[in-house]
Amino acid sequence: MRNLRIGLLLGFRQIQRASIWTTVLIIFVMTLTFLNLIAVSGVLVGLVEGAEQAVRENALGDIIISAQDDEDRILETNTVVQAITTYPEVVDYSVRYSGNAIAEANYKERRDLSGERDTASLIVQGIDPAREDSMSNLSHLLRDGSYLEADEEGYILLGAYYLKEYADDFGDIFDTIDAETGDTIRLTVGDVSKEFVIKGIIESKVDEVNLSAYIPEREFRRVFGRLDRNADQIVMRLADPAQNQAVAEHMRESSIGNYAKIQTYEESLPKFLIDIKNTMNVLGTFIGSIGIVVASITIFIIIFINAVSRRQQIGILKGIGIERKVIEIAYVAQAAFYALTGSLFGALLTYAVLIPYFAENPIQFPFSDGILVADPEGTFWRFLTLFIVTLIAGLIPAWLIARQNTLNSILGRK
Amino acid sequence: MSIITAHNIHRRFGKGALEVHILKGIDIDIQAGEFVAIMGKSGAGKSTLMYQLSVLDEPSEGTVVIDGTDVSELREQDRTAFRLNTLGYIFQNYALVPDLSAEENVMLPLLMRGRGWLEARAAAENALASVGLGNKYKNLPAELSGGEQQRVAVARAIAGKPRIIFADEPTANLDSVSGQQIIDLLSDLHQQSKQTIVMVTHEPEYAAPCDRVLYMEDGLITKELSPSELQQL
Repeated sequence: MRNLRIGLLLGFRQIQRASIWTTVLIIFVMTLTFLNLIAVSGVLVGLVEGAEQAVRENALGDIIISAQDDEDRILETNTVVQAITTYPEVVDYSVRYSGNAIAEANYKERRDLSGERDTASLIVQGIDPAREDSMSNLSHLLRDGSYLEADEEGYILLGAYYLKEYADDFGDIFDTIDAETGDTIRLTVGDVSKEFVIKGIIESKVDEVNLSAYIPEREFRRVFGRLDRNADQIVMRLADPAQNQAVAEHMRESSIGNYAKIQTYEESLPKFLIDIKNTMNVLGTFIGSIGIVVASITIFIIIFINAVSRRQQIGILKGIGIERKVIEIAYVAQAAFYALTGSLFGALLTYAVLIPYFAENPIQFPFSDGILVADPEGTFWRFLTLFIVTLIAGLIPAWLIARQNTLNSILGRK
Repeated sequence: MSIITAHNIHRRFGKGALEVHILKGIDIDIQAGEFVAIMGKSGAGKSTLMYQLSVLDEPSEGTVVIDGTDVSELREQDRTAFRLNTLGYIFQNYALVPDLSAEENVMLPLLMRGRGWLEARAAAENALASVGLGNKYKNLPAELSGGEQQRVAVARAIAGKPRIIFADEPTANLDSVSGQQIIDLLSDLHQQSKQTIVMVTHEPEYAAPCDRVLYMEDGLITKELSPSELQQL
């Protein structure tokens, strides 16, 4: 305790009397290191997290109900929907019917009947437009045109990847038609064909949305001949998304579990997405660790130069009876000060500026709105790593100088 | 009663053909309460002898017993503790910590001895007042003249009431007025509290107040100077 007290006195007096610009520069370097450690991995993880958030927001919600593994559809869908409405935690839900169809465009202008037709295979979703909009903000994803009305007939919303104009950037990956808002297309399901006017184009960061066509559910049932009213998917949003595990568990144990498979959003994520997220995290940590090495070398050099230039003073301190540990503590205290102050500024910048900024202005990536993810626990462990490495970087040069022969240090001898 | 007894002290530096033999078998005995000066020409080995006596260096051969402790037997850590608790130092270049105020410089060894902050501060202020720096507690060393800095060093040396004070050419970097003030301080300290002081100096006039003046030549104490011999130097 005595050594610590005197070491801290010596260390902080050195900081106090040091050049303000040197101190600011060192703290600046430490702040950048902290940001490198937190922000780089945060942006990389944020890429995936942003994509995940978009999927949760615009497609899957917090809990997903789908057909049991040995069934094609959700059995007793009406009963299931009624059961869902009894849960106070559920604030929104949407029932989706799904089927494959062939869309054909420009068939009226086609003169050469033996030539290639302008067709594409679609996944068509039958929805209640109002409920779906409330659940997934579908109307906000309109790139062009307008949203579906509840009872109207003969209108369709097309995902952008089904249209040549929007999918051209991706080459031949997607099956597209050459059409735009207001054009009429023909939808064919088996022997049934019906004309639809493209009412709007939907574009999202979520591929599932870009690769869907939407029509009102009543019309869907008619075109697809789905008279049993059993849906393919029910998605729901909870007041508190963190409760989804508990609510899903309760639903599984209730009657809903007899008719359908219930998954939380996290459970429904494909494994590759989790792997990508972990990979990004490792990549970010790797890049951040380079920053730690640079910071530790910086601190080592600073403390080493400081200690070497004060070698005689260190010798005199030992000469008058100050223990070596006290001198080492003095230099470690300086390193700790730089690490703490730099990290504090870095944390302030991260949580008060960068995270809110990127939440408001996400980085536009093709598949995601990139946000900055820095969970406090991860940040704490990274800070702790930086702090410990900095302390060691401060201790080593102090130890090297303080262990030198006392008289040689006093006299400046080698 | 002897407070320092050194027997057959040798100090060699280097090895083989490059070996330099600085101290060549010195015996010395200093009584408690004595004020002893060590004089001699440059290279005679005065400072080297003082480093052996003040536990800053280890002799190549021989024993040094201080206040009943054979310091040759002590480990590095114990030597540091011994210096802290038993000895006081005044170096020719003042040797103050530039980042600490005058008061904190004096407090440092006291805190290290385990004194509380307030107690150490009171003792430091007393010591500074006794060397005539009662109004400069808060000044940094850089804000003091050379003479004032050396007085802070004297205050640091005496604040802990050590058994022995070692002064290595304490006036070397001072003008004659400041130099005399430091010698007067040491002399007063010796007369008032019978403090044991061992001082290395070049200047015969500064050695005048000492009880004994030892003269060194070529690594050996060759004579003890009488007051008249001292005047003739």
